[in-house]
Amino acid sequence: MIAFENVRFRALAVPSLALPAGLTTIIGPNGAGKSTFLKLCAGIAEPDDGSIIIDGQSPRKTEVGYVNEFPDRNLLFSTVHDELASPLRFRHTSCAETEREVRACAERWGIAGLLEREVRDLSGGEKCLVALATACITRPRVLVLDEYDSHLDSGRCAVAERVLRSSGADYIVRCTQQMETAANSDRLVFLEKGRVVHFGEPTTVFANLIDTPFYPLSWRCRS
Amino acid sequence: MKLVLDSVALARPHWSLAASGTFGPGLHLVSGDVGSGKSTLALLMAGLSAPNRGTITREGIGQAMLSFQFPEFHVTGLTITDECRSWNLEPETTLASAGIAVPAERPVLSLSRGELKRLHLACILSRDYDLLLLDEPFSSLDCPGKEWAAHLIGRRRSGITVVFTHEQSIFPHTDRIWEIRGGVLADCGDLPGALRTWEHAPVLLRRLVAKGTIPDDLTQESIVEAACRTHE
Repeated sequence: MIAFENVRFRALAVPSLALPAGLTTIIGPNGAGKSTFLKLCAGIAEPDDGSIIIDGQSPRKTEVGYVNEFPDRNLLFSTVHDELASPLRFRHTSCAETEREVRACAERWGIAGLLEREVRDLSGGEKCLVALATACITRPRVLVLDEYDSHLDSGRCAVAERVLRSSGADYIVRCTQQMETAANSDRLVFLEKGRVVHFGEPTTVFANLIDTPFYPLSWRCRS
Repeated sequence: MKLVLDSVALARPHWSLAASGTFGPGLHLVSGDVGSGKSTLALLMAGLSAPNRGTITREGIGQAMLSFQFPEFHVTGLTITDECRSWNLEPETTLASAGIAVPAERPVLSLSRGELKRLHLACILSRDYDLLLLDEPFSSLDCPGKEWAAHLIGRRRSGITVVFTHEQSIFPHTDRIWEIRGGVLADCGDLPGALRTWEHAPVLLRRLVAKGTIPDDLTQESIVEAACRTHE
């Protein structure tokens, strides 16, 4: 469980919230605090008050893979290969195993053809895929993914959905502005003005959003 | 007024792009896979990059503008006020029109990415252009923001507007669809006929077309109307 208790950080206030294992998607208006919420889950920021505990540990003592919403803020190295290899190298994985893992991970994400490319030459969507693959390569228990799909086509979104679901991560917490993607989650958190307004399974949360632009178009068409 | 791509070709070590076609007044939507060359095509059409072969001709086009997919690339001011004034816009009015409730003295890069995109679009769409190229205008916007942007873009009544996007749900009124297939720009034609051959169409649209129900446009109203037609 990712447990928020009396959390306050900047404009975000979450008195009590427990996210079970699985895929949780944070949705809500721009500026609602979604990225701040995710940074707290990842341990990149710590709350001014209250606590966030992931299965008894603080986020900073938990293995977390993180993707920033600004694609260029994820990339540290000059080539895709070095970027993918970096989390393994930081933990002193052997060269042979690093090479195997990099190749396998690139295949999983459909970016094997990019390995020798310089990251500065990648398209926006390719940068997002490299960031996702790098976040997942050490198979962390927790994945925190901030709008990785804002530059992906529908085919790549489907690949990401499949790879993330089979990543083995206990917790995937992400945000998206694609409500069709959000509808495929185990549960949703709807944030507005720094507050959790709705929380639950997609059918429950979207039932509260039926007259808003957040209601999935495909659901509107089937009703 | 038109922009003509005549046997345009650009080759890089890892991929290539070939494009021919005429873009006249109206809204053109260009789709394609990640890394297929949409942003490169936008740069070529904007005249910010040159092809290896072929020619790009502009007829009757004076003012032209390219909006990059990353809004952070457009930032020139330190604060929101600086940024708005660089466009000769009043900060408070611009923030209000973009639906952003933050003080104008804030550093512009402290905005969330969606807020930054809203601010950038409010600035760029405050002016009129003969040629407006929008690279991923809907990325990072929330759903109300996408509707707002689609409305602003769709209400342009003159000039050539080209939207490069893989948005799946919210589109402006669209006249013509293009897509990059295997490194070649393909002209799917005018709507609604273009929906029959648009390979990168959103899943929902593909389902409707497979049932023989073709929406008149890409707006949500048109798609919902077509979906309801199938239930008759």
